[in-house]
Parts: sequence; C-alpha cells; structure tokens
Amino acid sequence: MNDPMTLEAPRDVRMGVWQPPRQQRAFRGLLTAFSYPGRVVHLADDGESATLLLLATLTDGASRLADPERRLAEDDIRRLGVRSSAVESADFVLCGAAHPPQMTPRLGSLENPEQGATLIIQVPALEEGIELHLTGPGIQAEQTLRVAGVDPAWWRLRDEWNVHFPLGVDLILASERAVAVLPRTTRLTVEGVH
Amino acid sequence: MGYVAIKGGGRAIAGAEAAMEALRCAEGEAGTPLTLAAIEQQLRLLTSRVVSEGGLYHPRLAALAIKQMQGDTLEAAFALRAYRSTKPRLLDLPVQETRQMRLIRRISSAFKDIPGGQMLGPTTDYALRLMRLDLADESPEAFRSVSRRFLDGVADNDLPDSYPKVVDALREEGLLPPLTRSREAAFDITRDPLVFPVPRSAALATMARAETGSLLAIAYSNMRGYGDVHPTIAELRVGYLPVVLPHPVTGEPVEAGEVLVTECEVVAMYEGADSDGPPTFTLGYGACFGHNEVKAISMAILDRALQKGMRDGPANPSEDPEFVLLHVDGVDSMGFASHYKMPHYVTFQSDMDRLRTTQDKADAAQSSQGVES
Amino acid sequence: MNVSYELPLDDAAYSFGFLDEYAKREVRRTILKAICIPGYQTPYASREMPMGRGFGTGGLQVTLSLIGEGDTVKVIDQGADDSVNAVNLRHFVELTCPGVDTTERTTEASLIQSRHRIPEVALSESQVMILQVPYPDPLVVVEPSEARRKVMHGEADYSRLLTKLYEDIVQFDEITISHRYPTRINGHYVIDPSPIPRYDVPRLDNSPALILLGAGREKKIYAVPPYTRAEPLAFDDVPFRVEDFRDAQGARRPCARCGATDSFLDELIDDDGNKQWQCSDSDYCHSRLAEHDTIPGEAMS
Repeated sequence: MNDPMTLEAPRDVRMGVWQPPRQQRAFRGLLTAFSYPGRVVHLADDGESATLLLLATLTDGASRLADPERRLAEDDIRRLGVRSSAVESADFVLCGAAHPPQMTPRLGSLENPEQGATLIIQVPALEEGIELHLTGPGIQAEQTLRVAGVDPAWWRLRDEWNVHFPLGVDLILASERAVAVLPRTTRLTVEGVH
Repeated sequence: MGYVAIKGGGRAIAGAEAAMEALRCAEGEAGTPLTLAAIEQQLRLLTSRVVSEGGLYHPRLAALAIKQMQGDTLEAAFALRAYRSTKPRLLDLPVQETRQMRLIRRISSAFKDIPGGQMLGPTTDYALRLMRLDLADESPEAFRSVSRRFLDGVADNDLPDSYPKVVDALREEGLLPPLTRSREAAFDITRDPLVFPVPRSAALATMARAETGSLLAIAYSNMRGYGDVHPTIAELRVGYLPVVLPHPVTGEPVEAGEVLVTECEVVAMYEGADSDGPPTFTLGYGACFGHNEVKAISMAILDRALQKGMRDGPANPSEDPEFVLLHVDGVDSMGFASHYKMPHYVTFQSDMDRLRTTQDKADAAQSSQGVES
Repeated sequence: MNVSYELPLDDAAYSFGFLDEYAKREVRRTILKAICIPGYQTPYASREMPMGRGFGTGGLQVTLSLIGEGDTVKVIDQGADDSVNAVNLRHFVELTCPGVDTTERTTEASLIQSRHRIPEVALSESQVMILQVPYPDPLVVVEPSEARRKVMHGEADYSRLLTKLYEDIVQFDEITISHRYPTRINGHYVIDPSPIPRYDVPRLDNSPALILLGAGREKKIYAVPPYTRAEPLAFDDVPFRVEDFRDAQGARRPCARCGATDSFLDELIDDDGNKQWQCSDSDYCHSRLAEHDTIPGEAMS
C-alpha cells in the first residue's frame, strides 16, 4: 500500500502491484521506456493493469494526480494515497486517448522544468494503428511507434505544450498491459500528416 | 615488483574497524563499558546535541550513536539521520503548542519580572568555571544520593507545569504584531529539496537540525556587526513538550508522549517599513530538540536576519538564505570535508596532465623568446 | 526521565535497499524527469545514507532505487573494484540487497556505480551507468547564486562560462580544466559530468547505455539518456583534448602490467623513485592479462 496508514496488504493476486519488489520491477520497465522513447515495454503481468501498476510505482502522498474522467476506481485512488488535484496543478494526469483535456497541464518553468506534468494516456492498443515516426534523445536514427485510437488533436496539443523547451509535458501511452513513452524532447511526425 | 598491488581494500577496511574498536576498549581489564543510560543521563547535553542535529528524537538511540562514534557529535548525529532515512513518514503533525510545555527552565532578559516568574533551573550560566576536583574520584554512594536528596520534600503539585509566554504580553500591548497563522502547509525539508527562494518554515526546519557550531558562527557574525539584529531575549524556555497527534482511527487529538525542547524568542528593534500598520518590534524564533540554549538563541537571531534578507535582499552573509541554509548542515559539511581523504588518483592525474602541458608551452615560449633576443 | 525503556530490537532491522519505499518512489520520479530533460539538474530530497556525504551517497540512492532481484552490480572507484570506497559501497549493497549479485566484470554488470571513471569496455543497452557527483553545477565557477544559475541554465546561457574558458586560453594558451569538463547535452544544458577525466568525456556521447548522475549532498539527479549528443565545450581553434599519455619521444606509454596502449593510465612512483604507468580500470587490466596469460611487468622485474 502506498498509503502508510493502511497496515496490511490484501492477499488477492491482483494486489501484487502494491508490493515493493513488483514496483521495483515495474520501475525498471518504465526506466527502459523513458530512456528509449517509442519502444513498447510490456509492463503488466496477467491480471494486472499497466496504468495502476505505473501509478503505484510512481505516486504516493507526495504527488498530485488529476483524473478528470474518473478512470480510476475510488478504492485504487485511496490505496495509492495520492492527492487528487485539478489538471492545471497535477504532477500526473490520467486521460483517455479520445479526450484531450480542456485545460493546459503544468508545463513547469524555465528554472524548474521538472514541474511539467507527466500525462498518462490510456490507449486502446499499442503496436497497431497509425505509425508515429520519432527522433530525439534516446533514439538511434529513427524509431517507429504504432498506436491505435488516439485523437489527432493530442499531437497538436503536445506540440503546443512542448514548444518552449525545457518547458513541457511528458507522455506515457498505456495500453492494458504495455507502455510507450514520449518525453518532451521527442520529435514526432504522424504517418501521412506533414 | 614494479607496481602497486590492486587488491587489499577489503582487508584495510576490516583492519581500520578493528583498530577503532581496540581504541574504544583500550582501558582493558580495568575498564567498564559505558551504559546507554549513563550516556543519556550523565552526558545529557551531548545527547541533546545529537538528537537535535540528528533530527530524530530518540535519546536512547542517540546515546548508542555517541557510544559507537566514541563521542564524535558530527558522526553520532549522522548515524541518527541515516537511521531516520529508513523510516517512512506517517503523517503531518498538527501545530504543537509550546505554551503547554512542562518547563524545567525559563528566563527573560527583557523584563525583570514576567508572568509566572523567572525560573533559572538547570544552567551553568552563573556557575564559576572552576574545576570540581571532587568529581575526579566520585563515590558511587554520593552520586546515587544526589537525585534523591534534590527531590526530597518536594510535593508533585508544588510546581506549575506550564507558564504563559512573554511574547503574548508584548502582543497584548501592541508592541509586537498580532499573531497570524500561516495558511501554507509547513515545508518538509526531509521530503522536498530546498529550491530558493524558500519559505520561512523551510529555513526554520533547516536550522532546527543544523550543526550547532556552524549556526553559532554565522549568528555571531551578525551579532558582531555583519548585520543589525541587536536582539533582546523575550523568553528562553527549556522543557518537555507534549506531542499531540490525531488518533489513527477516531482522528481525535491524543497525547502520544513528550519531547525535550529548547525554545527561544528574540525581540528586535522595530522597523517602520515592515507593514502599513503602526511600527512594532519584530520577532525571531528558534526551537530545537533537546536542551541546546546557544543553538536556539543563534537560530532565533538568524531567523530574524533571514526574514529581513528575504524581504529586502541580503546585505550580509547572515541575511542570505542560500548562504546560511546551505552551509549549516553538519552531515553535509562534515561528509564533504571527509571525502577529500578518499583517493583522487584519476583527477590528480588529469590535473598533472594539464599543468605539464601548460608548463611545456610556457617553456617553449620562453626559449623562443631567448633565441630572438 | 526515561530510564527504564529499552531499544526495540526490530528498530535495527533495515529493509531491502535500505531506503524506505517513499524515498525510492521520489528518487524514481526524479530519475524519470531527469531523463525527459537531458542534462537538467533535477532537485530531490536526498536522504542521509550511512556513509559520508561526498562518498557516493547520491549515486547510491540512485542505485538503491533501481536495484532488485536479478541485478548484477559493479562498483568502482578510480576505476578499481578493490579501492577502499568501492569495497565499502559494494559491501553495503550486499548487506542491504539480498538476492542481488555483485561482480567486478564490466560486461556482466546490469548496474555500474562509479566514482571518477567510465569503464574502458563499451557499455550496452542492457546496462545503466551511475556516476557519483560531488559538484553538479558547472556554472558555480562564474555564479555563486543557485537562483541565478537556474535561470542561466534554463536559457542555455553559457556565455560567462565560455568567457572563463577563453580567459584560460589567453593566460595559459590552453584550457586548464583537467577533469569535470563542462559538457553540453543535447544542445541545451551544460553539465558537470562528475570528476571523470577528459579521457572519458567522449564516452558520454551517443552511449547505448543510460547514464545517471547523482549528487547526494547537493540533492540533484541528472541524466544523459542513451543515444544523446554530449559535446565538451571548446573553441574552433582550441579543440578539446584528452589526457596525453605519450612519452618524451611521442610514443604512447603502455600499461606496465598488461601492455594496453588504449586505456587511461595511473602514474605510480615506486620505492626507488621511478615512474610507472598502469591501467586505472582494474577489470580491463585483469581481463587483458587473463587473455594473454603473460605479465610483462613481472617479466621485467
């Protein structure tokens, strides 16, 4: 449990995501995904949700999470011990691929760009759908990423938010089991769009 | 053999450990190991310093650290801090009320008499620093009877256990600005890095676990003239502060125990520019775990100096939050001073390469000049 | 007075990786942001570790936040696995991380924590390099205030640092920075790459492995992501130069032990006052000896 006042972990198999060794393994998967943008990393095991696993790995009472579409179960938010917040002030924002947020997430500042938010976009599928062509740090020459069901408005918003490096947002695309990451430094062209 | 053996680091460390241990026990047959209770009680000011600088109120563990580190306060406080790193933070403590302190000592240098009265309590302030040779060969019987005789005939309810605060009286008279409670949550220096500018709560928390000597040195620079606080001690109090926590189930406040703390409030000369209201005195605040009066006074003076620096920009080192707060932590400064003892072969090799290259260039330039002349 | 209480024995037990899970989570969040903003000194609430600030506490907090069962860790100091500080840190990892293997072989390691060197053998994508950092900010030589330095970094304004380098050239006809050579990452942030020699700086450029830098005392973590540009600051007419290991005749000195002419060398002075040169990377030296099965150094004596 990430909430320190919850003393005992339930014994359900699905509850593995709350255990430190599981979170350590998940973090190493995330580390690979962040280091090599666009590579699909299979994060979750059977019965686990990649989104919940990555949130359990990265968030606790010291972080603020916005979930404007209520994608998480109340019970899971409570177990995370995370502070709920509006999109504009959240460290982590959970969104759907079909619904780009109306609000601008935190972009950080020139002095403190790390305060730019991490957006977790739940996508129907990775490794299928349209092709994204990626270049930038972590990518040797070019990386191709296929992702399904993402509203094209997302890519335009991402460009807008990331126009003034080092300010910007970092994206985690999460399917049911896998993740791929687009840090603010990754340059992206969408197949067929110029 | 032309080259230095690469192996052997592990053996050297084990040897160093054994040598330290041999010195700790060098009394041999004649010696008696120190008990933790003896350290905690008889060296209580040392224990106080270590709980304060360690930032963890655990006098018994502090006593253990003092014993293990053979009396080195920097190392002992460090061990306590490192231990603290392994423990999760369970909750945000609500504001604790020092008016409720069970006092062993309180004085004010601002007034001859204060509500509740001055109480000198345990202090060496007015003791003559003459060697007490009788302590050199103290009999256990005499030692054991002191405490009993001191409390003999004193009824438990003879002493009021809490006193009103001097600054409250000053506030009532309008000499100090009224108390305003900050809406902002206190900055937690154990969880958030100091990124300047920092709020006052971050400065107070940093100073509360600062190394006493470092804090004193910077405060002293202000007292001597690199600054202009000119403080008067409104009140210095030492005692046991009840720690009140919300009950984990009901949320009702419950007293979980008490901690020995030292608190100091200094009043400084008024400044018209402080606010739009009438001029008032200004306040500097110091508090820390344990019985550490010099530290609490130094902290209160620096708090006042830093408030001025945060408002007007620093005119002196003691008013510069970055300068003060980044240089008073004993664990940081002592660790860094010690690290110079580690091998630096690679960087020194690199230094030599640069020096030789520039020397060669200088030689070449000189000899070519010699040819020309 | 609390004369009667005893120390609870379980208080002395430490959890896997020493740090509590909240501390690890914070370090993990910081590492990911550091990767997203290459070269940016990301602040975090560095914890006290049971060894001195300056002895590798920053690197260690990074290592302990990454480490888990199945990892193989290598710890080096000055290039050597058996240097006192490396032994001490490795021992601490062994003590607090049951189920983790340690190794002296660069090629076998999944995590490499190092002070002052990057191994001679090229790293791979399956490895993470963790460097211990005493001074994270290259701008400190020209600007003491951190608040002002943060603005300069954000704007990628390194004019004052370049001026400093230029003044060096005017005075000495050479850039005198020996180690901790300021290096620009992905064309924006300039980092202090930790006190690695200039010899190791080119290894930061386009590395297949992630490189993480941890400064415990200064409470910063920064990263050089894989396949990212890392360029030492220099001028067109005064290029960046690595340490020179040539003798007076201009021949590259070999390691006295393994004969390598392609490694960073330590200069040693023996009891007779003679100089010798020997690989700083002990694993590289041992591996070459094992391959060739001859010891030129011994043959000479």
